[in-house]
Amino acid sequence: MNNPKRKAGPDTDLRSLLKNQHRKVYSICRFFANNYKEQQRLFIDIIAAASQNIRFAKGKCEKHTLLLRACINMAALHSIRLDLEPGTDREIHFKSPDFQRTMLQFRDAVGETSDLDKFRLFLAMEKVSPDEMTDLTGLDTSGHMAVIVPVAAAREYSIKNFIPYLKEKLIWS
Amino acid sequence: MELKKVQQQWDGFPEISMEERPILSSDLEKVVVSNPLTDAFYLENKLRVRIYIAAILWLLNVYQLRIQWRTDGNDLYQQVALFCLLSWFIYFHVRLLLFADYPSLLSLRLMPFLQKLETVLDKYILSFKLISVMAGFYLLSVGEMLLSRLSSSAFESISQNGFYKWLIIIFLSVSFYILLLQSIIPKYRRLLMAVRKYKYGIAAGTPRK
Repeated sequence: MNNPKRKAGPDTDLRSLLKNQHRKVYSICRFFANNYKEQQRLFIDIIAAASQNIRFAKGKCEKHTLLLRACINMAALHSIRLDLEPGTDREIHFKSPDFQRTMLQFRDAVGETSDLDKFRLFLAMEKVSPDEMTDLTGLDTSGHMAVIVPVAAAREYSIKNFIPYLKEKLIWS
Repeated sequence: MELKKVQQQWDGFPEISMEERPILSSDLEKVVVSNPLTDAFYLENKLRVRIYIAAILWLLNVYQLRIQWRTDGNDLYQQVALFCLLSWFIYFHVRLLLFADYPSLLSLRLMPFLQKLETVLDKYILSFKLISVMAGFYLLSVGEMLLSRLSSSAFESISQNGFYKWLIIIFLSVSFYILLLQSIIPKYRRLLMAVRKYKYGIAAGTPRK
């Protein structure tokens, strides 16, 4: 029987959003997953991260932005995890012959690029404007850390910051 | 890398494939409530357990301190030091837990996300030093307890001499820290190095091997 007091799970909007955006999540997997197992793990992790981001969202961030941030952050963690696992097989291996062939050709076209370039490519393929890059990665379009503080203010700040050791101990950046 | 070629290959992906099938509603129900952060990236439960244990130890310590204060016992300074240490330990972990803010951690932009992950891991590794000092105090208490049952004269001699007690605490703390350095800490240190390397790699835009 239906219990009206039963605690509802994630709302229907969230579920339908995640269901509709599954292709976007698979898109980033094309850049980072080398086999079916990795692809499925990354896919599930991104969906879980996006759900968490949207449910616990602070401020006025759009759901679309939170989903893209989940994609990028989880892909970064996936890369770090692969680095930590010794003897990881980096060969492309998928069951479906069509998909395997396309993946090989696609990775060949992408070549040895940095993860940042992979993120850029992913956003380009998903028709995200380059201006939104800063909002997703914290880096500006040229790949530098986004500078929010004006130069004069930064100089004044560095003068005031006369005990850097103490500051480091007291304030966690 | 030619963007045109990449786009061409991108368009060549099959519309429907076994690898990129939509997620089933039943699976989605489970996935949306699961935790995406695992292993050493997720320290919330460990931090909570530490806070609870430290809180219990803190209460016991307050009780012991009260007894020592009233009876002007030999271990008064030791109990005061342990009280300060436990208070700092709880403050440090509560602060770290609030700083990490795990529910919204993944909604940060990439660079602040990596920065936060690095800071949390760095502070977590630092917390093992506090644990080692605490272990020094508690191992001494256990040692004293055993000694009181095995040899009462040796126990009397130790409990009367505060200087030796402090030396034993220092020795036990350093030994315990060396043990942690050889057993638990390397795992977190490796992860910290990997996160740091990745962050610098992203900032520098270097290709990964």
